[in-house]
Amino acid sequence: MVFLLSRLEQKLSELRVASKKALVAYLVAGDPDLETTLELMHGFVASGVDIIELGVPFTDPIAEGPIIQAAHDRALQTSTSLDNIFDLVEEFRTKDSDTPIILMGYINTFLANSLALESIHERGTDAVLIVDIPGESTLAQIGINNTNIASVSLISPTTDRQRIEKICQTSSGFIYYVTLRGVTGASNLDVNEIETNITNIRMHTALPVLAGFGIKTSVDAQELSKVSDGVVIGSVLVDMIHQQSSQKDYKNIYTYLNEISVAITQ
Amino acid sequence: MDNLTDLPNAEGFFGEYGGKFVPETLMFALQELEETYARLKKDPDFLKTFDHDLTQFVGRPSPLYFAERLTQHYRGPQIWLKREDLNHTGAHKINNTVGQILLAKAMGKKRIIAETGAGQHGVATATVAARLGLECHIYMGAADVQRQSLNVYRIKLLGATVHPVDSGTATLKDALNEALRDWVTNIDDTYYIIGSVTGPHPYPMIVRDFNSIVGRELREQSVTLFGGFPEAIIACVGGGSNAMGIFYPFIKETEVQLFGVEAAGSGIETGKHAAPLNDGQPGILHGAKSYLMQDKNGQVLDTHSISAGLDYPGVGPEHSNLKDSGRAKYLAVNDEEALRAFHMVTRLEGIMPALETAHAFAALDYLTDTFSDTDNIVVNVSGRGDKDINTVATMDGISLE
Repeated sequence: MVFLLSRLEQKLSELRVASKKALVAYLVAGDPDLETTLELMHGFVASGVDIIELGVPFTDPIAEGPIIQAAHDRALQTSTSLDNIFDLVEEFRTKDSDTPIILMGYINTFLANSLALESIHERGTDAVLIVDIPGESTLAQIGINNTNIASVSLISPTTDRQRIEKICQTSSGFIYYVTLRGVTGASNLDVNEIETNITNIRMHTALPVLAGFGIKTSVDAQELSKVSDGVVIGSVLVDMIHQQSSQKDYKNIYTYLNEISVAITQ
Repeated sequence: MDNLTDLPNAEGFFGEYGGKFVPETLMFALQELEETYARLKKDPDFLKTFDHDLTQFVGRPSPLYFAERLTQHYRGPQIWLKREDLNHTGAHKINNTVGQILLAKAMGKKRIIAETGAGQHGVATATVAARLGLECHIYMGAADVQRQSLNVYRIKLLGATVHPVDSGTATLKDALNEALRDWVTNIDDTYYIIGSVTGPHPYPMIVRDFNSIVGRELREQSVTLFGGFPEAIIACVGGGSNAMGIFYPFIKETEVQLFGVEAAGSGIETGKHAAPLNDGQPGILHGAKSYLMQDKNGQVLDTHSISAGLDYPGVGPEHSNLKDSGRAKYLAVNDEEALRAFHMVTRLEGIMPALETAHAFAALDYLTDTFSDTDNIVVNVSGRGDKDINTVATMDGISLE
């Protein structure tokens, strides 16, 4: 009997076996345009990124701070749709068949494309992370019928024990621990609280627990990687992409990711 | 007909609409609010305080007034006005804020936030926060800050801070986004007073319940003044709190027809409007499933209405359920019709309605023919129009400078 691990499970288990921490990089699909997003995705992987989180732009992204919110607006100005993003992932897969891809966004855009979502695993997408659904619901319960993709859920500092238990039961892939009370890109990390809460989460699940929201420097990343199975970098990257988009030269981003990758390996 | 009154269910759904679609950080606060409200709504002391504040601070009950000249004008049914414009601060919004500030106090919250469109909810929130000496922050779309400058100044006079929101369309929906972001960030000490029957559960229920004083008074007043319930009730619908407040106590009385009036803006056919129940599809925005103005990709569309309070792409989930069930009917009137009604009611009755309310009056053109002169119909005068005189003057090409 052969057990087939999904690409995401495979990657996380490889990292675990090698005692390495996962580096997850977030960028908004279509900011500044889809060709650049594709170029950046490959560049990220070459710079040590293990998993890519593709932001799906939405007009009303209530969990995002000003930096990512502005990126959503820019991506919508070039009419980026979820349909385009499925194509983008398919294109990415022609050159990269190992790096897991997670689509992160808001329920309304996903529901508008629910039919297409049924086959996105065949087109290279490995998981979805929908920010504004109750973490204890399964994808089927909210109207997405695809059992071949993982559903990554968020747990936050305000999630109580009962909810942690329920969320762990329906989550797959990994648990995304939101490291602060606030929107993406904020800056009030409390490493002690994060450690305590991640320890609590581990009592209810064997899934890896990754930390994200507000991680900016390689010191932040290093600190948090000690108490988690990996880190998610978002707003800093989105900001850098925007700064560099006029010159179309993204080398400093790759240098930055390399530094983070080294910092969390130590 | 399905049971429409014992809603929402335990998960916060009215039929298929409603729910709690929010980032995880907020789930705890919603649960805390739900538990507090479940406890307090049965607490005699809480109810006594709420009742006292409605009577002594808001000035309730609001009159049910016979609109003699309006009735003569239409030569149809007897037209009555439920005078929410006479409440303290000039609109129905105060009913809800007086109730929610008591919840905030019971939960020990020190900081109050709210979103506002026309500014009436901002004023009503700043008012109750001032009364209890609580720090207060009001989020308002930058476009609305412009067109409702009078209310912006009132909010500031009351000691609250106004935060203009430039993102998106710079109107009510963006103010709501920003208020939610503030709440996620300051979840421990902050209470969010949502101003309409929108947002995640339990807000649509709480706001409806506090505003239901309007419909409960109407039940008694109509029996006293014309010996029975009205044949119809008409109210404007943006998020829909004034409409829900006057409809809810009559949902079981199926002989009472309920009409909600949305903003058709430049006309439904132009796409520039704010009428999701007339021209939208079910979707999820701001924590709840409801009719929504959106494109085929699920992106929320820009809205347009002369009235800042109706300029919103969504609507309360309970209205969506009332629409699908057929219990309430929803029509839409455009900017021009609303403006004409504003002038007509002002001249005929000496009552200057808010532009939001003017939409409900404009619907009389479509509805009075279907009633006889022995029928009684009630228009909910959700607010007064002082705040809108700049907009009206501009529309009429008059400079007030």
